[in-house]
Amino acid sequence: MKFLLKLAVRNLFRHGRRTLITAIAIAAGLSIYIFMDSMLLGMELESQRNLVWYETSAARVHEQGYWAERTTHPLDVVIETPEPLVAALSQRGIAGAPRTVFSGELVVFQDPYPEDGSARITAYAIDPMRDDDVFRLKETIVAGRYVKPGEAGAVIGSWLAEDLGADVGYPLTIVTRTRQGYYQTVDLEIVGIARTPNPVINRGGIFLPLDTADRYLQMEGAVTEINMQLSGPVVTGGERYMRERTQEIETALASVVPNIVVFSWRDMAADYLALAEVKKSASGIILFLVFIIAAVGVSNTMLMSVYERTQELAMLRAMGMSSREIRITFAAEATGIGILGALFGAALGAVLAAFLVYIGIDMGWMMRDMDIGYRIAQQMRGTWHPAAFFQGGLLAIVVAPLIALVPVRRALKMEVSDALRG
Amino acid sequence: MIEITNVHRRYQTGETFVHALRGVSLTIEPGEFTAIAGPSGSGKTTLLNMIGALDQPDEGTVHIDGTDLTSANAKERARFRRRSLGFVFQNFNLIPVLSAYENVAFVLSLLDVEEDEVRRRTMELLEEVGLKGMEDRRPLKLSGGQQQRVAVARALIKQPAIVLADEPTANLDSETGAAILELMRQLNERHGTTFVFCTHDGMVMDKSRRLIYLRDGMVSDEERRAV
Repeated sequence: MKFLLKLAVRNLFRHGRRTLITAIAIAAGLSIYIFMDSMLLGMELESQRNLVWYETSAARVHEQGYWAERTTHPLDVVIETPEPLVAALSQRGIAGAPRTVFSGELVVFQDPYPEDGSARITAYAIDPMRDDDVFRLKETIVAGRYVKPGEAGAVIGSWLAEDLGADVGYPLTIVTRTRQGYYQTVDLEIVGIARTPNPVINRGGIFLPLDTADRYLQMEGAVTEINMQLSGPVVTGGERYMRERTQEIETALASVVPNIVVFSWRDMAADYLALAEVKKSASGIILFLVFIIAAVGVSNTMLMSVYERTQELAMLRAMGMSSREIRITFAAEATGIGILGALFGAALGAVLAAFLVYIGIDMGWMMRDMDIGYRIAQQMRGTWHPAAFFQGGLLAIVVAPLIALVPVRRALKMEVSDALRG
Repeated sequence: MIEITNVHRRYQTGETFVHALRGVSLTIEPGEFTAIAGPSGSGKTTLLNMIGALDQPDEGTVHIDGTDLTSANAKERARFRRRSLGFVFQNFNLIPVLSAYENVAFVLSLLDVEEDEVRRRTMELLEEVGLKGMEDRRPLKLSGGQQQRVAVARALIKQPAIVLADEPTANLDSETGAAILELMRQLNERHGTTFVFCTHDGMVMDKSRRLIYLRDGMVSDEERRAV
């Protein structure tokens, strides 16, 4: 066995350039896989964090029946008394932030706006004193300030402001209906502009104080939802973890206020998660491409090796070397190429992944006008994923000898006497 | 002892059927220094392949020291070659990535001989074939004659009963060829190993103690002489 391995190693460097080119081909495939995996996983984690921090919160309480009608933002299926629920959550160490979400028609007029216009919008009435216990909107104000309780002010998303030509101090009118169904005009002044890492908020977010909205919409203290911040692995913990946590909270809250339902961010972002799952399959396709590159490269190299060593192989067989020993020699040689490729690929992949993790790619130009589902507004960052290095590297190392056995098998089928003639 | 009885071998090259051996029968005693001669296409190499367990007859039998190679499967024949036969090829067929020492020693490694024993026997044999001091050279750093000496050492290292040599002097100049042949003759005398050559080199025929002529796949003549 020692001799077989020695022969394999020597043969590996017999045509150093060819070995190097094959190893580089494998390395290129592997590094692309590591890069893409880091990017996709980074985008996924970042998107999920931005969903939780800016859009859905970790979990949310709704009145029973609201979920089925949530797209119309009904104001008649509401939590009448949010305070006992917030207090109950607080007792369990969970921060709660009530919100009322409603839809309406945003109307702007020329002067100060560049032109007249209107658009369907969704507005979020937030409690300025408690909302930042759950969401991170307050940290993203880039012009003006955060909303104060009782004022007729609004914070809007930065891309919405750009699209409207709006700035701090500009008026904003929302035509909507009250809880009882009467038309209502909500006149607000833009007090702040938020640039969040979540494109959905930047593109259409309008936030006003909860008590102001309560007054305009005649909510009488009722809210449409209570958002929660949960400790623990909310984003990375998986579906089962979140289901168990929300069930536990729901059971606890049911004794305080009946007819409520608790949803996890995974329930609320089901559409996004389904989309992300599809995108994740791209990673599998790249892994398959790595396999193909490794297979073609190694197959070509080993085919040439076997072809030019036909007589040598025949000599070894004439000397009594068994087919198994010959297979071991070539498989070891191909494994060597696979290991070299895996090492180069892992090193190159680490450099590329480091670029993504520490520098990232500016995706702002694309996300600004295109909604691709990911909740990333600007800098797309990768993440370290050791499993990708391991899986990809292992695949290259395992595939290489398997592929090598194909031409060897063919050579072994030749009669020794024929092969000796060359 | 090599016993070949009524061996026939036919094969097809392209659309042509070749009847390479047509009922060859002969016996080669242990320690013989025998050359099989004949024109191209007479069946010399085919016969040598039969003796070397590299090919099997369509009819007839080949026995070596009592082992019936005709009924042996590929695995058994490989095992037999590994244990009992040495080969010297026209093109030397050394492994270019191994040194002269390694080219010889690997044969013993395949037989699981202890490393110390491998070293001792290899060094002794390399000295015997006149390659002392060249053990670490790779084939490309050796002349044709030196390469064939390595090949002879490789064939003899496992002390086989039989060494088969297919045109061993064909790629050597006459002086080097004579030296290699002399070396093999000395080794034959010293170790008692049976040597069977396949050749159409007159010098090889002159040096052999038994000469078997093949023509059209049949033994056409045979002579024994004292050299």
